[in-house]
Amino acid sequence: MTSLINASNSAGVIITSDTSGNLAIQSGGNTVATITATGANAGIQVASWANPAFSAWANSTTSFTTSVNTKIAFNSKEFDTANCYDATTNYRYTPNVAGYYQVTAGNIIAPNTSGNRWLYLYKNGTFVKTIGFCPPAGINYSQTYGAGLIYMNGTTDYIEIYGIQNSGSTLTNAASQTDVYFQACLVRSA
Amino acid sequence: MALYDQIIKVYPQLTEADFLPITGTVELRNDSNGKGDYIAKWQHPTLPEPTAEQLAATGA
Repeated sequence: MTSLINASNSAGVIITSDTSGNLAIQSGGNTVATITATGANAGIQVASWANPAFSAWANSTTSFTTSVNTKIAFNSKEFDTANCYDATTNYRYTPNVAGYYQVTAGNIIAPNTSGNRWLYLYKNGTFVKTIGFCPPAGINYSQTYGAGLIYMNGTTDYIEIYGIQNSGSTLTNAASQTDVYFQACLVRSA
Repeated sequence: MALYDQIIKVYPQLTEADFLPITGTVELRNDSNGKGDYIAKWQHPTLPEPTAEQLAATGA
């Protein structure tokens, strides 16, 4: 049984109610979306308070040995709505809802006049997207910022951020809430 | 001595291009878990991946 809201082709909006706790939205008698106690089906595409989102930042530095792809230790959380980000051991996000996630990250590396800097998105331990690149910035910190969109299965998939530089020397990033960050949120359910 | 320096000492003919992200033949990685640097990918067309003995012999 299901309560119905039907946009009829002939009689306007027809509401039929029952006590099932389920709701179907119909167009011309055809169900286009359903809502039950466990959630909404793919016919419902609205931003939800239940969509996971998190933001983490680095409150200590990470050293980048030249030419070594290094996971950035984002070890402090600003928010983590579904408690899916590990800020203490693996610095990874394992969201608990399947869907498409917008990921953003930033990193700044100490001034140096050689080499380049890259910022990478890894999924399940494998490189998937280059999300940032910059040449050396001389006396300024090199800044790499970027974003990617990625599917996550809501159970085992996880994402991490790696950075690399090839200046020939070991360089350190900054501990910075404003410049060294890792964020993601669900933008479309599976 | 860093792993990168050890590898260069074993194979001085390797160039910066070999270590470039994505297009390089060698990828060194550090997972920030306290276990240090390691060779994540070795796809050099002629040079075999150095052994632990070769790396140790560099005097690290």
